[in-house]
Amino acid sequence: MPPFLRTLFRFQESGLLVVILVLGVLLTAFAGTVRTPKFEKAADGTRQRVFATDDQGNRSPAFEAKNKFLNAQNLAQLAKDTSFIAIMAVGMAIVIISGGIDLSVGSIYALASVLGAMVLNHFGPEGIALAPLAACALGALTCLGAGALCGLANGGLIVALGVHPFIITLGAMAILRGIAFVTTKGQSIGGFPAAFRELVRFELGNGLSVVPLVIMVLVTVLGWIYLSRLAAGRRVYAIGGNEQAARFSGIRVGRVKLGVYVLAGLAAGVSAVLSLGYYGAATSGDGQGYELNVIAASVVGGCSLTGGRGSALGVVLGALIIQMIASGIVILGIDQNYSQIIIGAVVIAAVVLDNVNTWLAKRRLTRA
Amino acid sequence: MSYIEFRAVTKRFPGVLALDGVSFSIPRGTCHALIGENGAGKSTLGKILAGVYTADAGEIRLDGKPIAPADPLAARQLGIAMVHQELAFCPNLSVAENLCLGDLPLRAGGFVDRAALLARATEMLASIHADVDPEALIGTLSTGKEQLVQIAAAVGTGAQVIVMDEPSSSLSAGETHELFSLVRKLKARGLTLIYVSHRMSELFELCDHITVLRDGRHVATEAIAATTPSRVVSQMIGRELRVQTPAHLSRPAGPERLRIEALSSPTKFSNISLSVRAGEIVGLAGLVGAGRSETVQAVFGLDPAATGSVLVNDRPIAPRSIEAALDARIGLLPEDRKRQGLVLGLNCRENTALASLPVLSRLGWVRRGAERTLADRYQKRLRVKAPSLETIVGGLSGGNQQKIALAKWLARDCDVLLIDEPTRGVDVGAKAEIYALLDELACEGKALLVVSSELPELLGLCTRILVLRNGRLAGEVPRADFGEAALMRLMAGVDHASAA
Repeated sequence: MPPFLRTLFRFQESGLLVVILVLGVLLTAFAGTVRTPKFEKAADGTRQRVFATDDQGNRSPAFEAKNKFLNAQNLAQLAKDTSFIAIMAVGMAIVIISGGIDLSVGSIYALASVLGAMVLNHFGPEGIALAPLAACALGALTCLGAGALCGLANGGLIVALGVHPFIITLGAMAILRGIAFVTTKGQSIGGFPAAFRELVRFELGNGLSVVPLVIMVLVTVLGWIYLSRLAAGRRVYAIGGNEQAARFSGIRVGRVKLGVYVLAGLAAGVSAVLSLGYYGAATSGDGQGYELNVIAASVVGGCSLTGGRGSALGVVLGALIIQMIASGIVILGIDQNYSQIIIGAVVIAAVVLDNVNTWLAKRRLTRA
Repeated sequence: MSYIEFRAVTKRFPGVLALDGVSFSIPRGTCHALIGENGAGKSTLGKILAGVYTADAGEIRLDGKPIAPADPLAARQLGIAMVHQELAFCPNLSVAENLCLGDLPLRAGGFVDRAALLARATEMLASIHADVDPEALIGTLSTGKEQLVQIAAAVGTGAQVIVMDEPSSSLSAGETHELFSLVRKLKARGLTLIYVSHRMSELFELCDHITVLRDGRHVATEAIAATTPSRVVSQMIGRELRVQTPAHLSRPAGPERLRIEALSSPTKFSNISLSVRAGEIVGLAGLVGAGRSETVQAVFGLDPAATGSVLVNDRPIAPRSIEAALDARIGLLPEDRKRQGLVLGLNCRENTALASLPVLSRLGWVRRGAERTLADRYQKRLRVKAPSLETIVGGLSGGNQQKIALAKWLARDCDVLLIDEPTRGVDVGAKAEIYALLDELACEGKALLVVSSELPELLGLCTRILVLRNGRLAGEVPRADFGEAALMRLMAGVDHASAA
């Protein structure tokens, strides 16, 4: 094997890239085509439909055939859908690497969304007038603050009570969603300042909304820096790898754990901001079952649930794989109800593959 | 006539060749001693026979037929059982349930037949004259009693060969005596026993033949009657023990670095006062359970119930705080490096830097260049044999792992080093290197407090030795009075002096 190929092969995330490529090729091949209306740019810069004129002089709207998977619109949609999950998955990866788990991300996302929605509604068209930018900032900060506070509560309880994070966050999952429900009385909250939606839905070219993408890349880079460049990240790996040895090395285990859950909550808050802007409304039922997708993305992306292993880039690619499968199910016309079955199977397959890989590596080490 | 025969058995673990073509045989109905230093491969060999590990190469024959038990259950079916030191049972189940776990007596519908269960367990225990309540939970038994239950389980399931791995290591004198008489009874019944230990006196009292292993190789198999303890020792070590006086002894000790005053912790140890000066290596000896590790851990701030005071360079440090101990430049090399000393999944560089992160990072960023330089310096200084700084520590041999665990504290530049079992599970060559290194550190003016279960280690290394007994300081022996007998007397208490 040439050296550069070997380097690529050793590169932790290369396997995920291969899976993504294979999935992409398969989806393109099997997706079939779809007829979409053709658009063109008019002289004044607005989009207008293209019309074809036949021999008799009848004008009819023109259509073009596009691959159902491989077309700009679908890819843009895929990228946007991925970003919501991927951002939360980066937070989840940090928790899982520390040897913990956070089942409450979906509920944190819902609570942060409805609280942010209430603030935005307060300053919305039917509420108090405020400079649009200030209103947007207040709404976003509410989401982030609520997320971080929920994470702080999780981490605080886990550290102070010494209870397994599975139990604490399982409880928090129900409690936080309950709070969201009680606060909103189950009603959907919308009516945000127009500026907020315009900001988040800002599009480049033909329907490519860049804001969620940019935020996702930003969060990935920040997560990567945190995990691989900061002392704090090193401590997270150490605690997940061997908590007792970390303590014996003078690492304040409780403090690090607290921080990890705050980050997971904060990441859920970031996703909440994006979803508010994107959908323009929130209800207490938002983000139901997100914990499955987010944990699945982390595990598929190479995090070990026993802690000590994983990377930010890996989980983002993991999120992309999960989302490609979910959207692939739609594109291929498979019954929606199968999507959970398939995602569940993918998670198990990923872990089995990882175990086989670890076993092979161990054997190589012994043989050497 | 050979009953069990090992033919060129080889076993490799990541980074070490644990067994290298070991061949010897064991006659039926005898008690066979397996001896060697830590890391010689004696436990590995026993575990291969009992199916815990599988050999990479070679062959084992039982009664002339080649066997290769893939797991402990397969070994059981061949009539081979092992008595472990580690917990081999479910602690939350009763003795009777554990004894019959593989074959619970059932009634129709899958219900456990409790009466039959109890009767069978009682019978199994009675057959080896073990005085254990079959209804007690395993978790509530002493190590000695639990071992008896393991033997009862082995005998009760028809084992013909029993491998005992360091059976007496955590037994009281009375329990050891009980174990010996049981071993003799089993032998009289025609069972073959393999007794893995490094306690010479036991082997000579109990066994018929002895096999010495060294660094994974077979050195000798002889009848006990035809050999002597000193001959076995030289076979284990492979060369005459060259007594080399550590260099730090010839230098005057410096100012007092560490002082402990009336350090106590309920149920662990009480009223311990000692001091260590710069350039000294002070040994802390004692039997298992005397409170040695507990004491050094309390000095390092790990015991939340500790009282008393710890002073470094005459300044008292906040009690019960690892941070305070670290700030006072105390380092602790813990007893169990895999659980307490290292993060096995991280690499050499990351483990070396683990305790120095505050020094190595600026505004929270790890300075990677500085980190690499630091790790590289100590990897070279301690002569760690690893392919690179990026090698995962879990794949290294015991000796190299121990060096990395030590490098972590050297990197932190500690003045006071608490060293708990410096050479446990370390091969002979690395041992000598670690001794030389500790001597070097003392010469540099560091103060070392060394805990060890191996008396020769302390006798060779230390300026003076303090002895703990039942959590109290039993005495101090200056180098001039060093001698195993005197130390054993102090460790065991005067009453047991004749026994030791």
